[in-house]
Amino acid sequence: MATMTTSTPTPAAATTVRRETPDRALGTVAPRVDIFETEKSFVLLADMPGVAPDGLEVIAERGDLVVRGRVEPPAATPDYQEFELANYYRAFTLTEDLDTAGITAVLRDGVLRVEIPKSPRLQPKKIPVRTE
Amino acid sequence: MSAPSTLHPWQEMRRLQHEMEHLFGGLAPAAHGGFADEYPPVNLTRDDKVVRLEALCPGVDRPSLDITVVGDAVTIRGERKAEPEVPDERYYRRERPIGAFTRTVSLGERLDPDATQASYRNGILRLQLARAPEATPKKITIQS
Repeated sequence: MATMTTSTPTPAAATTVRRETPDRALGTVAPRVDIFETEKSFVLLADMPGVAPDGLEVIAERGDLVVRGRVEPPAATPDYQEFELANYYRAFTLTEDLDTAGITAVLRDGVLRVEIPKSPRLQPKKIPVRTE
Repeated sequence: MSAPSTLHPWQEMRRLQHEMEHLFGGLAPAAHGGFADEYPPVNLTRDDKVVRLEALCPGVDRPSLDITVVGDAVTIRGERKAEPEVPDERYYRRERPIGAFTRTVSLGERLDPDATQASYRNGILRLQLARAPEATPKKITIQS
């Protein structure tokens, strides 16, 4: 009767399947950002290490600015690990006074820089003073 | 397990910290404003010939990046510079750490400084550290 028990799916087989598809699902974290204002624009800097230009998405839509970054999962688990790469996601609300059509985004050394121009009426205007 | 044993307790702490941050949807990669913790965080992978070190350090001013290998230790120096000419009152948010950093990682085996390779891409510094010839494991044949 011992053969009866071997006809059920063996735990060993199940384990093998699990090992072939290890849990490599990456988490998602919010990138750390700086936001500051210049005379003509708002600037957003976001630390997104591990994101290549083709893994980056910056979308400005209906008053929202969404930043998404996809990282490549590591080939192997390190022997010693202090950081774990994760995908990035963060959304920001834009006010109406911004010129979303003029947004520029640059990714350099893992830092995303988004510049959002202020609409012309928000930009400081220099008033020439006439002398009389 | 070939990872340096002295670093293990910290690895576990870091792992827990990361898990907590993931659970509560924290900031990446660690939620603190400066270089209070050891910076940059590193991962190590070893094989028979080399030790690969990855350091997570986006936005480092490239000319400031300096790597030295002495004995069994590798030292990474660099600086994350603040945006020039932006006064504090112009900031709405300031979460990214700024400043100079130095980190030395001891690997517990002698390295060959001349055979070190380094690259910096997408904010990750990757070093390939070769063991010194005398530290390379040798296979000993057992005579019968």
